[in-house]
Amino acid sequence: MSDATTGKFRSATEEAPLARWALIGLAVLGLGILVAAPLIAVFAEALAQGWKAAVASLGNRDAQSAIRLTLMIAAIAVPLNAAFGIAAAWFITKFDFRGKAFLITLIDLPFSVSPVVAGLCIVLMFGTNSLVGGWLVAHGYPIVFALPGIVLATMFITFPFVARELIPVMIEQGRAEEEAALTLGATGWRTFWTVTLPNIRWALLYGVLLCNARAMGEFGAVAVVSGKIRGQTATMPITIEMLYNEYLSVAAFSMAAVLTLLALVTLLLKTALEIRHADQLASTRRH
Amino acid sequence: MRSPLIHRSPMPGLGLSMGITLTMLSLVVLLPIGALLLKGASFGAGNIWETVNRERIWAALFLSFRLSFFAALFNLVFGTLLAWVLVRYRFPGRRILDAAVDLPFALPTAVAGIALTALYAPNGPFGSLAAAVGWKIAYTQWGIFIALIFVGLPFVTRTVQPVVEEIEREVEEASATLGASRFHTLRRVILPMLMPAALTGFALSLARAVGEYGSVIFIAGNIPLKTEIAPLLIVIQLEEFNYDAAAAIGIAMLLISFAILLVINLIQVWSRRRIGYV
Repeated sequence: MSDATTGKFRSATEEAPLARWALIGLAVLGLGILVAAPLIAVFAEALAQGWKAAVASLGNRDAQSAIRLTLMIAAIAVPLNAAFGIAAAWFITKFDFRGKAFLITLIDLPFSVSPVVAGLCIVLMFGTNSLVGGWLVAHGYPIVFALPGIVLATMFITFPFVARELIPVMIEQGRAEEEAALTLGATGWRTFWTVTLPNIRWALLYGVLLCNARAMGEFGAVAVVSGKIRGQTATMPITIEMLYNEYLSVAAFSMAAVLTLLALVTLLLKTALEIRHADQLASTRRH
Repeated sequence: MRSPLIHRSPMPGLGLSMGITLTMLSLVVLLPIGALLLKGASFGAGNIWETVNRERIWAALFLSFRLSFFAALFNLVFGTLLAWVLVRYRFPGRRILDAAVDLPFALPTAVAGIALTALYAPNGPFGSLAAAVGWKIAYTQWGIFIALIFVGLPFVTRTVQPVVEEIEREVEEASATLGASRFHTLRRVILPMLMPAALTGFALSLARAVGEYGSVIFIAGNIPLKTEIAPLLIVIQLEEFNYDAAAAIGIAMLLISFAILLVINLIQVWSRRRIGYV
């Protein structure tokens, strides 16, 4: 910028400074009210009666069992969905077949189904009144109002996360590297472990991260299938609802704070991945 | 000549990957949705209509759709603004702001629900401010509106951001050279380029909001005909073990989400024909 025009000159593709700062101000204000305020509210309410009350409320038996249940559900649902995501991405990107677009639409379907409707579907499929569910209950394997139903509902909701992250990455990477490995005599599994997996590991981690956050926090679908039995089928989000409805505000918000910390850690890791491995992620390398 | 169902390929693992994909897809997604449709079919179209065609259910469906529409509209404007600010401007804290946009995706809906209720309840920090001017937010439709804005917030920003990144400065320079004011360029050159992506984000945000349950029920008040959302009706029917009615409402909601999905696809086809990307 030349000295003669300092302070007056501005690029033709920029807004006036005043407009710029007004827009930035609006963005900060909007996100402050919409996003930061609820975040602060969770911790403020949790600590309303001090640290000790908050921590103590997490120590009781029902809270402990809720935390254990949520961890167990994530430990089952997330690896299964990751395995599905890898298999689906392999099938879709390494082979050419008719109806591929339709298959992708079907995989994406859970994103556009309401969680409550998802739960309803599982109840109708496996509930005591249904053909399959009735038979399973008669043989001592209840699905609905028990762990398998909650896992199924969680898997339904988080079904597309890993596949959706892997497919664009694997499309872009093409098949040449795998073909080279196969030509050199590697077996299929060896090709997968030494060629494909290293190429997709960050995208896989990214998908698993988002899948896990959603799995641990799912409420609507789980609320329908869990039966909300305290100490048995009450996950952390369900326990939050029960405590809140009993006006146990500190206990409800303390458990909410634990899930909020999980969400913040997820965002932190996600941002770190986006900064360090941007070239290997689908979401930061669109088009 | 018709192309074969599956092309021959030297790649290994066809059977295994296809088997896992189709088995899990069927077991987790397709069969349960099929169970809902089957339940609807055995209940009969006439019975479904009779169940859904009641004032309380129409009120809930209409409320869910109307508030979701307005919330998505708010997100369309604010999300586009946010995408522009995050891509084009450099200012301290931009990274944090960018990460914060995703919080509604990461935060469990029940947590968002009780947090928003704490803020907007008459004794909460925002609620008491509003109450001072006689404005009740929590336990009214305003509360539902705010919760739906929260859950749909990231969609528009995340679909528009990559498009803003791809805009070539030359286009704006050409517009400026031809004598357009900056505002004129933004309105007539930039905005039309962002529109398809923004509309896709709008539809995604709408689809999410229509089905949203966890973040809404705490702040809604759940008064029949006034602040009762459609997903809550399903839960109520299920608690009364009224599976037929629950299935009827579920099918109505499924049809709404399929319609929105169809619109999203049409927008993308239209924009591809018009602009060539997105």
